[in-house]
Amino acid sequence: MFDLQNWTTALHEWMLGILPEWAAILIESVLVALIIITLYAVFAIVLIYLERKICAFFQCRLGPNRVGKWGLLQVFSDVFKMLQKEIIRMRKSDRFLHDLAPYLVVTASMLTFACLPWNKGGHIIDFNIGIFFMLAVSSIGVVGILLAGLGSNSKYPMIGAMRAGAQLISYEISIGLTMLTMVALTGTMQISEIVQQQYDNGWNIIRGHIPALIAFIVYLIAGNAECNRGPFDLPEGESELTAGYHTEYSGMHFGYYYLAEYLNLFIAAGIASTIFLGGWAPLHIAGLDGFNGVMDLIPGFVWFVGKTFFVVLLLMWERWTFPRLRIDHILSLEWKYLMPISLFNLLLMALVVVLGLGININ
Amino acid sequence: MEETIQNKPVKPQAEAAAAPAKPAVVPEAVPAENLVVSTLVEPEKLHGEMLRLKNEEGMDFLELITGEDWGEEGLGCVYNLWSTTTGKRAYIKAVAKDRENPFLPTVSDLWDIANIYEREVFDFYGIRFLGHPDMRRVFLREDWVGYPMRKDDKPEEQNDLRMNNFVYADKTTQYDCDADGQVHETEHIVFSPEDYVVNIGPQHPSTHGVLHFRVALEGERIKKIDPILGYIHRGIEKLNESYTYPQTLALTDRMDYLGAMQSRHALCMAIEKAAGIEVSERVQYVRTIMDELQRIDSHILFFSCLCQDMGATTAFLYGFRDRERVLDIFEETCGGRLILNYNMIGGLAHDIHPDFQKHVKAFIPYMRKNIKEYYDIFINNVIARNRLIGVGVLSKEDVISGGCTGPTGRASGWSNDVRKHAPYATYDKVEFSEVLRTEGDSYARLLNRMDEIEQSLHIIEQLVDNIPEGTYQTKTKPIIKLPEGTYYSAVEGSRGEFGVFVESKGDKSPYRMHYRSTGLPLVAIMDKACRDELIADMMAINGTLDYVVPDIDR
Amino acid sequence: MENNNYIQGLFGGLKTLCVGLKTTMREFFTKKITEQYPENRETLVMFDRFRGSLVMPHNEENEHKCIACGLCMTNCPNGSITVTSRTEEVDGKKKKVLDKYIYDQGICMYCMVCVRVCPQNAIDFDQSFENAVFDRSKLIKQLNQPGSKCQERKPVAKPAAPKPAAIETSNNQ
Repeated sequence: MFDLQNWTTALHEWMLGILPEWAAILIESVLVALIIITLYAVFAIVLIYLERKICAFFQCRLGPNRVGKWGLLQVFSDVFKMLQKEIIRMRKSDRFLHDLAPYLVVTASMLTFACLPWNKGGHIIDFNIGIFFMLAVSSIGVVGILLAGLGSNSKYPMIGAMRAGAQLISYEISIGLTMLTMVALTGTMQISEIVQQQYDNGWNIIRGHIPALIAFIVYLIAGNAECNRGPFDLPEGESELTAGYHTEYSGMHFGYYYLAEYLNLFIAAGIASTIFLGGWAPLHIAGLDGFNGVMDLIPGFVWFVGKTFFVVLLLMWERWTFPRLRIDHILSLEWKYLMPISLFNLLLMALVVVLGLGININ
Repeated sequence: MEETIQNKPVKPQAEAAAAPAKPAVVPEAVPAENLVVSTLVEPEKLHGEMLRLKNEEGMDFLELITGEDWGEEGLGCVYNLWSTTTGKRAYIKAVAKDRENPFLPTVSDLWDIANIYEREVFDFYGIRFLGHPDMRRVFLREDWVGYPMRKDDKPEEQNDLRMNNFVYADKTTQYDCDADGQVHETEHIVFSPEDYVVNIGPQHPSTHGVLHFRVALEGERIKKIDPILGYIHRGIEKLNESYTYPQTLALTDRMDYLGAMQSRHALCMAIEKAAGIEVSERVQYVRTIMDELQRIDSHILFFSCLCQDMGATTAFLYGFRDRERVLDIFEETCGGRLILNYNMIGGLAHDIHPDFQKHVKAFIPYMRKNIKEYYDIFINNVIARNRLIGVGVLSKEDVISGGCTGPTGRASGWSNDVRKHAPYATYDKVEFSEVLRTEGDSYARLLNRMDEIEQSLHIIEQLVDNIPEGTYQTKTKPIIKLPEGTYYSAVEGSRGEFGVFVESKGDKSPYRMHYRSTGLPLVAIMDKACRDELIADMMAINGTLDYVVPDIDR
Repeated sequence: MENNNYIQGLFGGLKTLCVGLKTTMREFFTKKITEQYPENRETLVMFDRFRGSLVMPHNEENEHKCIACGLCMTNCPNGSITVTSRTEEVDGKKKKVLDKYIYDQGICMYCMVCVRVCPQNAIDFDQSFENAVFDRSKLIKQLNQPGSKCQERKPVAKPAAPKPAAIETSNNQ
């Protein structure tokens, strides 16, 4: 299996040869940051294009097809348009909070983005409480949303932000519990370790079979809710609140919310593929060594992105099918259905682990 | 068909001009069947008489209040009453003689709908209703000078183009008259400063047009809704007073654009009956089919927009995909998709297109198949059911008092289908059932409309192969004049009873033409339907009430 | 019992969600309904009765049928038609002939009243629909072509050239 760590170590040693250690680390950090930001932008553009096309196909339409071949340049032109737009200041709004909010949202999303295991040895942030860290930084986003509602001095954003607060904080419980279920299975919180285990012993969704499958479905629902995407998009529920918490944002400030929304989708899908579908681990079928060998030739990066996009497609399919829920239904879904199910599931997983009922391909 | 029509294109008026000797079909002596004979009641006795009619004669449905300016005689109102039990109608006329300070007693304590109807009369004629709790203008700006529907009013001279914003008053006035005949003013508060008032509209994705609600919220719960109307009021009724009868036809399509066929049908019917013009059987059949196609079109759009409001964008487009088929049928025969321009006085603008029957027959099974998809993707969906069932419940008393006809009223168990109660065109010849439900919630309103699509398909199915031969345009006089009198005709529009009230002084233009808008009662009942519901429910409720704004703002 | 409802509600709800997912997935693979305008200009044919804009048909000899009676002008609800006439002397007789037929498409509401009242079938609606212009004044059109004159009316009225709509109606019978 291709290991990115060999390359990064080689690069690091070459740098140490010509630079002092602090300078080498600084340059490496800057490089890594640039890579993350570039990837972030690229994935956002890909996702927006994908969403528009897929949504169109579900709706018997063709989607964007005017700018560039098959509308490929549509998103680029949208981004350029957004960059040119004036950032409008609202009278009597809290300038500082109003301007800070989109950066908080986008920072939270980028930090979580950095936790994703892109390849073997391709982790940017990886330490022994990785999952915990990921949950913690992803929660910063909700602060940004609340500040947006608070700082805008407008009524729609205020209602939207309050909804978002209630919704996001509730659904974090389910996310936490499903993660805990999977941590119970793997016995580690380090993301690289979780993926490595899945490479060695088979994907978690197969290893943990029934409880893992339940956890996967619960995670998809809760993750979707965390991204504020339909049918859980009521913080920005356009039919009642026009655009919810980002009603008063324009130009690139709005753009940040837009970017973060799509990247959060990618992140939610990425975490699902890391924890349940083996991250960069290729598909291995016990007993078929030749097949497994061929699968190993495909780089981990491709596996990871492929799996993530598969989950993204699932989420889009669902998003373009269902009507929006109401705030009390969202909360009752979480507190009356998802949370009890997750708790029960955690117990089930604990039994599976204790009794050694998991399927191990090796 | 007759030779003459075959060879010559559609020129009924011109032909009539060439042969002016032909008399009208019906002799003048026989009163038209839609003639309104109203009882004049003194203002002082009006309230007592209305109360008596409501309680003793069962006239529990106030169909319409038409404000009128009778010149020397004074200003006044005509009240159309209808009994839901016996089906009888009564017309009451009340005149306020003093043109400077006209007062009439209110009936808004008897019927909820009178509240907004009286405000409309006040807005256009300046009649103040004593005891009315909310005597504000309803369509015009609060700073408007004059009462534009009065015959002697000069709106252009009194009102410059104002470029200033104005803040909606949070206070309203009630006028009361004491025993000495002294008029007192009482102030009422619409919204207090503590209320968290959110503006829904006039530019808002789910008000379906330029409609403005001021909504007081308590958290996410709705405390009060105050609709502000008139953003797209075009003064159609005022315009009609200067138009000839054929000219007035052009504007009905522009009111309820999803009931264009039916509105125009009502107007044509009112004029034809009043002038004694007979229309052929063929025309009646075609009009019925067209009305039902229009109803299907409207209900599909209703479904689509409801889905859109509830966030199911995909279902929205499925509805539009199917509606396109109806619009193509319309366009082929009528030449228009939304503004159809099809019904004419005495007939139709064109005969049906040669392919009309073929396309309609192809559409029926197509629609039956696709309506199942609506159930799959939205109506049976657990999310949609949770959001609609038990939301915005209106009782039967509410809808009758609020004048909510059509599928909205029928979802609360009020049988009010004009097609059944006063059949017109060929509705007495076809078999169909009036869809009734008793739940009165949003889900019942949705299901009612879905069932009505199926009933409409059933009606079309019975008629489309049996359209009799005949002329599609009866010859009329070159200038159509209605005999002096007042006439009222109603049809079942897509969203309720659409009525046309015409008062004629024997001229070629109507003296007063008033429409019973199907949407106005639906907007007026929003406050009652949304009280104590969540703000997200407001979208479900106004989606299922299904009003069309240009029909409210005529 | 309540437990039962809870479980039933959960699975019943899940089932309806799956039905919805199935429906959208099926539509994902159906033929798309998007009309690709303007690429489909060639195949995009409007219905004959479609009301595009008012025209005054002329024959090969640049003759129209308008006798400048002004009925259309007086009947137009919006006043979008202005007919000006001049008097010409033909064979020693004074005769009113059409000078200018001005049609303001910007305020026309396509109600067909003018076409219906015209005693000569001189005007009709065509099927053009690309009527967008950059300047409102371009919507004011003169319908009679320069140098055109009124068609001679023979004493024996030969059947006037029927309009497309009229052809269909006769086909139908």
